Amino acid sequence: MNLLNVVATTGPKVYIAPAPIGHFLGLTITNSMLYGWICLVAMIVLFTWVAHRMSIKPKGGFIQYVELVVEFITNTVETAFEDKSKARKYLPYFVTLFCFLLFNNLSGMLPFANDAFTAHNMPLLRPMTGDLNTTLAAAVVTMGLVYTASIRETGSVRKYFRHFFIGSPLNPLYLVLGLLEMLSDVTRVISLSLRLFLNIAIGEIIVAVFAYLGHILAPVSAVAFYLIDGFDGALQAFIFTILAIMYLAIVVNQATEAKHHGLTHGVDPETMSPNLARDGMDS
Amino acid sequence: MILLASAIDTAIIGKGLMIGGGFIGPGIGIGIIGGNYLQAVGRNPEAAKFLGQALVFVAIVELFALLAFASIFIVS
Repeated sequence: MNLLNVVATTGPKVYIAPAPIGHFLGLTITNSMLYGWICLVAMIVLFTWVAHRMSIKPKGGFIQYVELVVEFITNTVETAFEDKSKARKYLPYFVTLFCFLLFNNLSGMLPFANDAFTAHNMPLLRPMTGDLNTTLAAAVVTMGLVYTASIRETGSVRKYFRHFFIGSPLNPLYLVLGLLEMLSDVTRVISLSLRLFLNIAIGEIIVAVFAYLGHILAPVSAVAFYLIDGFDGALQAFIFTILAIMYLAIVVNQATEAKHHGLTHGVDPETMSPNLARDGMDS
Repeated sequence: MILLASAIDTAIIGKGLMIGGGFIGPGIGIGIIGGNYLQAVGRNPEAAKFLGQALVFVAIVELFALLAFASIFIVS
């Protein structure tokens, strides 16, 4: 083959934005939406089937792997929360979130995704999480749950805002630290959504680039990056979930601790720590 | 000199600098995380269970490299 093909002007096919493939009731249907719906239907069918086949005595097979995933997330949530009943309360959302992201991240690796079918010179099926709209929606819903649950667990909006300040807000140092803490809280939606979107979209791009560079040896040159893409998809689903768990667990644990020790928020750390130490020694 | 400047596509140079410069920091950061994780495991093999937490910090650092990578699609 001609080595100059490497520097040809066409280049690999790179897709960052979703492409519209049709209109339905005034809504534009994009390729990532279509593939996302297919994955959702597949997930619902699969998990309904698994739920009907559950048994106490393990039967092995596919059900075992679903149990493994659910148990893994259950353990992660239960170690993050101090109060186990609180962990049980919020567990279903995180298991759903992890399975949804895992399915959609790995769906880009299937042979019929991306360039296999095309419509209007754009791929017909793109992984749903390789689209900023999906990940932004997931991040907004997750942080909405975190804020709602935090306000409910701490008791009131005032107490929720109080937890940003480690001391009295009238102290200028604590005020600045609290405001910085609030600012970093606002950026969580953006960082969660961008991290997931960029990892998945760039994983696809890297596989496309190395398949292009390999020319007829594309299977050999791209296989390593394809495997990394699979590992990264699973890892990013886990990281999105564990970060959401941590954001919720920090506030809920503080609220539980304050309720348990009969302390209100805003007590000086200096006066708070001996109390905690004494309680720990007594029990 | 003017001819040379017009012949060079400066966007390509910009993209190259962006990728190269943007990947230095996260590269060092992930190296520090991985090195410290291995040091902790070497000192106390029980610490091997914290791999998941180490990977979370890798992901946080990695975001900045990905932002640099994504920025090359904005430059034209």
